[in-house]
Amino acid sequence: MTLTVILIPLITALFLFFSEAADPLVRRFLGLLGTVSTFLVALYLPGTPGMSSLWLPGVNVYFALSPDGASAVLVLVASLVMIPTALYASGRVERRTGSFLALLLIMQAGLNGIFLAKDLILFYLFWELTLIPSLMMLGIWGGTKRRQAVQKYLIYAVTGSFLMLVGMLALRPLSGAASYRLEDLLAVTPALPAGTQLWIFLLFTLAFAVKLPLWPLHSWLPDFHEQNHPSGVADVAGTLYKVGGWGFFAWALPLLPGAAAVVAPVLLVLAAFTAVYAAVIATSQTNLKRLLAYASLSHMGLVGVGLFGLHLTGLSGAIYLLAAQMVSTGGLFLLSGMLYERRKTFELSEYGGLSRSAPALAAVTLFVLFTSIGVPGLANFPGEFMSLLGAFHASPWLAALATLSVIAAGVYGVNLYQRLYQDRETQPVADLRELELAVLVPILAGILWLGLAPGPQLERIEVQTRIIAQTVQPGEEIPMVTLGGRP
Amino acid sequence: MTDLISLAAFAPLLALIGALVNGLFGRAFREPLPGVIASLSVGIGFLLSIIAFFALAAGEETRVSITLWPYLQAGSFELSLGFALDRLSLLMMLIITGVGFLIHVYSIGYMHGDEGFSRYFMGLNLFVAAMLLLVMADSFLLMFVGWEGVGICSYLLIGFWYREKLNADAARKAFIVNRIGDAGFLLAMFLTVTTFGTLDIQAVNEAAGALVFGSSVLGVIGLLYLLAATGKSAQLPLQVWLPDAMAGPTPVSALIHAATMVTAGVYLIARVAPLFAQTPAASAAVAWVGGLTALIAAFIAFSQTDIKKILAYSTISQLGFMFVAVGVGAYWVGIFHVFTHAFFKALLFLGAGSVIHALAGEQDVRRMGGLGKHMRVTGTTSLIATLAIAGVPLLSGFFSKDAILAHTATSELIADYGNLVLYAILLVTAAMTAFYMFRWYHRVFAGEERFPKKLRDSLHESPSVMTLPLVILAVCSVLAGYLGLPEFAFPNWIAHWLEPSVETPVSFLHLSTSLEWLLIGLSVVAAAVGLGLGYWVYERNRGRLVARLEESMLARLSRSGFGFDALYRAVFVEPAEGTASGLSSVDTDIVDRGLRAGASPVGLLARAAALLQSGYLRAYALAMLIGVLVFALIVSLSGVLS
Repeated sequence: MTLTVILIPLITALFLFFSEAADPLVRRFLGLLGTVSTFLVALYLPGTPGMSSLWLPGVNVYFALSPDGASAVLVLVASLVMIPTALYASGRVERRTGSFLALLLIMQAGLNGIFLAKDLILFYLFWELTLIPSLMMLGIWGGTKRRQAVQKYLIYAVTGSFLMLVGMLALRPLSGAASYRLEDLLAVTPALPAGTQLWIFLLFTLAFAVKLPLWPLHSWLPDFHEQNHPSGVADVAGTLYKVGGWGFFAWALPLLPGAAAVVAPVLLVLAAFTAVYAAVIATSQTNLKRLLAYASLSHMGLVGVGLFGLHLTGLSGAIYLLAAQMVSTGGLFLLSGMLYERRKTFELSEYGGLSRSAPALAAVTLFVLFTSIGVPGLANFPGEFMSLLGAFHASPWLAALATLSVIAAGVYGVNLYQRLYQDRETQPVADLRELELAVLVPILAGILWLGLAPGPQLERIEVQTRIIAQTVQPGEEIPMVTLGGRP
Repeated sequence: MTDLISLAAFAPLLALIGALVNGLFGRAFREPLPGVIASLSVGIGFLLSIIAFFALAAGEETRVSITLWPYLQAGSFELSLGFALDRLSLLMMLIITGVGFLIHVYSIGYMHGDEGFSRYFMGLNLFVAAMLLLVMADSFLLMFVGWEGVGICSYLLIGFWYREKLNADAARKAFIVNRIGDAGFLLAMFLTVTTFGTLDIQAVNEAAGALVFGSSVLGVIGLLYLLAATGKSAQLPLQVWLPDAMAGPTPVSALIHAATMVTAGVYLIARVAPLFAQTPAASAAVAWVGGLTALIAAFIAFSQTDIKKILAYSTISQLGFMFVAVGVGAYWVGIFHVFTHAFFKALLFLGAGSVIHALAGEQDVRRMGGLGKHMRVTGTTSLIATLAIAGVPLLSGFFSKDAILAHTATSELIADYGNLVLYAILLVTAAMTAFYMFRWYHRVFAGEERFPKKLRDSLHESPSVMTLPLVILAVCSVLAGYLGLPEFAFPNWIAHWLEPSVETPVSFLHLSTSLEWLLIGLSVVAAAVGLGLGYWVYERNRGRLVARLEESMLARLSRSGFGFDALYRAVFVEPAEGTASGLSSVDTDIVDRGLRAGASPVGLLARAAALLQSGYLRAYALAMLIGVLVFALIVSLSGVLS
C-alpha cells in the first residue's frame, strides 16, 4: 500500500517517456490517471501498515517506508496539488510534453519517498533522486538565463546534501545503532555526546537550510522560479520540493535533540528574520514570479519559526503550514502561468485593470492571494497561527518580529492584486477557460478543506510532533498555562 | 427556548448563501434580482435574530452556546469553533441585520444600472456574514475570522469601482492599515494563550477576574487588543484609512464604515469587559485614545468640503466617544452609543447618498445648498439625524452621549488617569459636533443654491425604495434613545439588558440628583452652544468669518487631516519602501555574490562549475557523478566503520 504511492507515478512516468509521438489527449489522460490514482491511494494511506525490508545487507540499509503521522498528510496534500499541476502541464508545455510530464511524476515519486522514508539512507536517496527531475525541468524547459539558475541551484543543493551525507554516514557508527532505520537510530542517537550531536546537526542544518530555504542560503530561489517554465508548473514542483522543514522535523530534531536545543534559538532568529526580510523584499518586486518566490520564502521563514520554537504547537503548525503552502503557493504559480499565457510577460507593469475582462480569474487570484497571506478560514492560517504561537512560547519578541511579516504580506498581497487587476484597464484578456477552471477547482477545494477543518490532519501530525517534544525536552510536560500575574 | 435562540445561528449562513448565489450566478440575473436575493437573505436573518432575541428575553438562560466543529489542537490546547448567543451578541445581531437589511433595500435603488450590480450585493452579503461571525464567536480565534473577514469585504467594497486608481489606492490603504491592527490582534491572542491557556472568551473573562488587579500581563494584553481595535475602529493612530474609505459606494459607507464594522473595536472591548475592568492602565489608554480621537476628528471635520468626508470624520469622532465609554468602564454605555449611532449615522450617509444620487455624483458641499426644498424626505430625515447626533435633548444621540459624559465624569476605574480632563474634552467635542453637523446640514440642505442651474430642473427626490429606509431610520433615530434613559431618575432598559453580558466589578461615583441634573444641563448647553454658533456663523454671518480664517494655520491643519497622512508617508511609508528596494538589491547583489565568492565549499564548487562552462547537461552530469560517488562512499565507508 505505502509503496504504491511511489510506484504509480514511477510507472506512469515510464509510459509518459514513450508517449511523445502519441496524441496529446493520451498524455493528458496518462498524467491524470497517474496523479489521480496516487491521490486516491493517498486518501486511504493513513493508518495502513508501512513496510520494512533489509535492502543493502552489508550496510544494514532498509527499504523502510511508513505513512505514520505527518508523512501521510504531506503525501496527501502533495498528491492533491499534483493533479492540477499535471493537468495544466499537459495543456501548456508545448515542447516534449511527455518527457516533462514524466519528470513531474518522477518528482512526485521522489517526494512521496522523502515523506515516507523511515530509513535515513533511503531518505537521502529520495532526496537526491528528486533533485534530478527538478534540475532537468529547469535546465531543459527554463528561460533564457536558465544556465546561471541551474548552476546556482545545483551548487547550493549538491553542497548541502554532500555535507548532510557526511553527517548521515557518521551517525550510525558513532552511535552504534543497529541500522539506519529511524526507530533504531532514535533508540541511541539522542544519547550521543553533546559535541558530536552538535557537528552532525550542523551538517544536517546546512542541507536543510538550503532546501527550507533559510536566509542567507536562499538566493538560488528567486532565480530558480524566475527561470522556470512560464507555465508555472515546474515552480509548483519546486514548491512541493521545499522539504528542508520536513528534514528538520522528521530527522534532525528528533535524532539530535541535545544539539537541537542548543542550535534552535539561533535558527529561530534566522527564521524570524527570513520571514520578515523576504516579505519586505516581496513588496518591492516588479516581476510576478520573483514576487511569488520571495512571498513563498517568507512562508518558509514562518515554517522555520514554528519548527525552531521547539514547542508542540509550533512544530505541528509548521508542518501544517508546509502542507498548506503547497496548495496556496502552488495555486499562485499556476495562476502566474495563466497570466503569462495571456500577456507573455511576468513584468507587472504590463498588467492592469484585468478584472473587467477576466472577473473569474481575478476572483480566484484574489482568493488564493488571501490564502497565501494568511487570512483566517483559509489554508495557510492554521499553520501560520500555530507556528507563531509556538514560537511565542519560546520567545515572544522573535514571534512578534515574525508576526510583522503578516503586515508586509498584506502589502505585497493587495499591491499585487491592484497591479494585475485594478486601475486603468489595459488590453482585455480572456477569462478562465475550461481547462483552467478544471486546474483551479482542486486548488480551491484544497484551500477550503485545509482552512476550515484542520483538526484531523493536525491530529495525525501531532503523533510525530510528540516524539520531538519529548526528546527535546524530556520529562517536561508541555507548558500551556503560565499565569504571569497570578498572586 | 434554546432551540429558538439557536435559530439565530443560521443568520450568517443565510448571508453566506446569498453571497454565493450572487457570486456564482449573479451575472446571469437581471436587475433587481441580485438585490432582492441579498436583501431577503439578510431580512430573514433579521427575523431569526428577533425570534432569538425575544426567546432569550423570555427564557431563563442568558447565554446559549452552539459548538460547530473542532478546529485546532496541539497537546492540551484545543479549540473548537462555536457561537455564543447572549444578550450582547444578539443586540449586535439585531443592529447588523436590521440596519443591514434597510441598507440592502436602499442599495437596490442606489446601485441601479451599475455594471457590477450583482458583485456589489455579493460583497454586501459576504460582509454581513463576516460581521455576524465576529459578534457571535465564542472564541477570539473565530472572532478573528470575522474580524479579517469584514476587513476583506471592506477592502472589496471600497475598491468597488476599481478602475479609478484613487479607489483602488483607498482600498489598499484600508487593508494595510487594518492589517497592522490585525497583527496586534494576533499578538494579543498569543499572549492570551500563554497566559490563560485558552482562547475561549468566556473562560478568559472568568480567569481574568482571578488575576491580580492591574497585573502587567493583563495590561499588555489589553493594550494589544486596543491596537487591534484602533485599526478596525479607525482610532488614533490608525484612523487614517477611514476618510479615504469614502471612495466606496455610499451605502457601503453607511453600513460598513459607520453603522457596523467600525464599531467592532468597541464590541471587542465590551466583550472582554472583565479583562479590561482588571487593568486600569489599559482601560485608561482606551479612554484617552478615544477622547483624543474624538477631539481631533471633530476638529478636522470643521473644514472638510466633501459631503461624505465630513461624515467620515464625524464617525471617527463618535467612535472616540464610544471608546471613552468602554475605557471608563461603562461597557453598556459604549454599546448603547453603538446602537443609537448606527441609526443616525447610517441615516446621515444614506441621506448623503440620496443627495449625491440627485446631483449626478456631486460630492462637494460648496456646490450644494438649498436642497431641502427639492428633496423633502431626504432633507427632513437628514435634519432629524443631524439634531440627533448633535445631542439635541429627547433625540437618541442625546441620551447615549449624555450617558458617556456622565460616566466619564464619575468613573472610578480611571480616576487616577484624569477622567475629569477627559470629561472636559468630550464636552467641548460635543459642542464641536453640534457645530460641524449644523454646518454640514446647512451647506447641503439650507442656504443658497450653489449647484449648476442646469441640474435644478432635473432635481428629484429619490425613489421610494431609497426614501423608505430613510424614514424608518429617522423614526429609530428619534426613539432609540428611550431604551437608555438616565438611570438615576428613569427606567433604563438597555443597561439592565446588557448587565449579564458585560458584568464587572467596576463602579461609578454616586452623585446627588441635583448634580446629575447639572451634568445633563451641561450636555444640553454644549449642544446649544454648538448649534447656536453654527447658526450664527453660517446663517447670520453667512460664513464671512470662516472665509477670513481660511488661511490661518489652524484651518490648514484641519483641512489636511491634522497632517497625519503626510507624517505617515514621511515616517513610515517612504522609509519602508526604501528599505524594501534596498533590501532587494542587497539580496541579489551582496548576499548572493558574497556566498558565491566565499571561501566556503560553495565558493569552490562555484568555481569548479564555472570552469566547466557547462550547459545544463554538463551540470546535470556533474550532479549525477557526485551522486554516484557519494553513494559508493556510503556503502564502502559504512561497511568499514561498522
